[in-house]
Amino acid sequence: MATILIENLTKVYPPTPTYPQQVQALGGVSMSVTGNVFVAVLGPSGSGKTTLLNIVAGVEEPTAGAVRVVQDGVPAQVGYVFQEPRLLPWRSVLDNMLYVQNRKSDRSKREAEFYLSMVGLSDVAHLYPAQLSAGMQQRVGIARAFLVNPDVLLMDEPFSHMDALTGRSLRDYLQRIWAHTRKTALFVTHDVGEAVELADRILMLRPGGVVFDDIPVNLQRPRRPDDAAVRAVETEVLRRFDSMEAAVRFGDQRN
Amino acid sequence: MSYAADLPTAPEFSQAPGTPQSAPAQAVHWTRKPWFINALAVAILLVVWQYLNSVNERVPSINEVVSFLGVELGGGSHGGVSRGEFWGPLSISLQRYVIGLAIGVPVGGLLGLLIGGSRRFRSVLNDTVLVLLVLPSVVWAFTASLWFGIGSTAPVVAVVLTAVPFMAVNLSSGIRGLDPGLALMSDAFRVPRLRRATHLLVGGALSNAVTGVRLALMTSWNSLLIVEWFGTASGVGWRAKHWYDAQRFEGFVAWILLFVVFITLLDWLVLRRLEHRSTRWQQQPTLTFAEGEVT
Repeated sequence: MATILIENLTKVYPPTPTYPQQVQALGGVSMSVTGNVFVAVLGPSGSGKTTLLNIVAGVEEPTAGAVRVVQDGVPAQVGYVFQEPRLLPWRSVLDNMLYVQNRKSDRSKREAEFYLSMVGLSDVAHLYPAQLSAGMQQRVGIARAFLVNPDVLLMDEPFSHMDALTGRSLRDYLQRIWAHTRKTALFVTHDVGEAVELADRILMLRPGGVVFDDIPVNLQRPRRPDDAAVRAVETEVLRRFDSMEAAVRFGDQRN
Repeated sequence: MSYAADLPTAPEFSQAPGTPQSAPAQAVHWTRKPWFINALAVAILLVVWQYLNSVNERVPSINEVVSFLGVELGGGSHGGVSRGEFWGPLSISLQRYVIGLAIGVPVGGLLGLLIGGSRRFRSVLNDTVLVLLVLPSVVWAFTASLWFGIGSTAPVVAVVLTAVPFMAVNLSSGIRGLDPGLALMSDAFRVPRLRRATHLLVGGALSNAVTGVRLALMTSWNSLLIVEWFGTASGVGWRAKHWYDAQRFEGFVAWILLFVVFITLLDWLVLRRLEHRSTRWQQQPTLTFAEGEVT
């Protein structure tokens, strides 16, 4: 069983020549995610969502605090879906899949083809990324993350650069593939509807990188954005955001 | 355990919403085709040459040059004791050229990888390589001749010194131009170093590397000819000088023509094809998508 354990995580970026002030991206985040759950981290721009994900993925070092990402006591394999597809433009779709695959065999190729078929891209495995639409490229990005058979799946606003229709289609693909694999997923987004549609649990971050709420979403899957129950949870999430903002404003005035 | 291993196919997901189709190619008028433009350029050059011959007797005619070339290639007599020589000088020059490139291209490539991939190496080597690049090939030719005197070492060294900076600068700029997001993606997926070097660094900078090779080959050929002209008693450069000194200008022009033909053939038959292959991913047709494609 995969576990993500985050304790008092802080990240402060030092001043740079272009921005001469230090920036606190995360201000003591603590949370834990265990089992085959889909957790959304919801927050506005600048709340440290991407930084949090990069630290969990091990590609960035925290300033303070600790992160453990384990599967049955050993370091977990991580799959990452980025905001942009991040495909090698000079490699075919299939080669891009195999680039992250550590086992090289006929079987790994079959697995790559399987996950491409799951995102509806069987016919384009031989094409280069530039020959695909942005949505198709992002579907390759999703398939690639599942190909490494991850214990933990990290997703950084993967649909934020898509138009509404494309984003909806990609969410459908993600729901289907996730329902099939049931990986432990940490999904970062600023879209309330997206978080409610996909997640079992929503962690809410406020600017400065502080978790201020943790909302369970106990709704049946698959969910549609126009379901009344989904709408009701969305309203509740927004209400809590408004309360948090009011509290922050009130605190500022008091200070 | 992999989920894919349990499910060899996923037919319910296999229907893509739209199948990409190639856009129809547009017909190009024959007067705009490359072969016509090239032929026109050559024809203009020949007309100008013949005109110059008619106004200045020191400029040999096309006919004289072609006749001279025939004798040189066939090993016939140029009159007196002088006989045509072509394959001997050419094989000597090619040998020097190939040895020089076999050293210069890999050394330049290695320097390019180091400069492009390591900030420390960049700070130490970048300016040095740039200085080497801005020096004209004639400087390397004279320097090599001064250092090594008459013989085969000077031309080989000149080829090496000319090729190295072209390779290094092009490859390093290709590596530095890579999207840093791809390195972060490789970090996140724990891609092994060797695969990252071959697929990400070399793959991404391949078109720059081929451009480097192309420039290195062309410029090194110039260096070789200059060294042979001034500092050797063999090779094609020396042969051209031989006819220049003998005031046989048709011979001199014939050899200049051969230099141009050699480098043009090398470019057409090898370098352009190599470049085309390395940039194949950039030349794919734009795709259109079938009705109903929503992504």
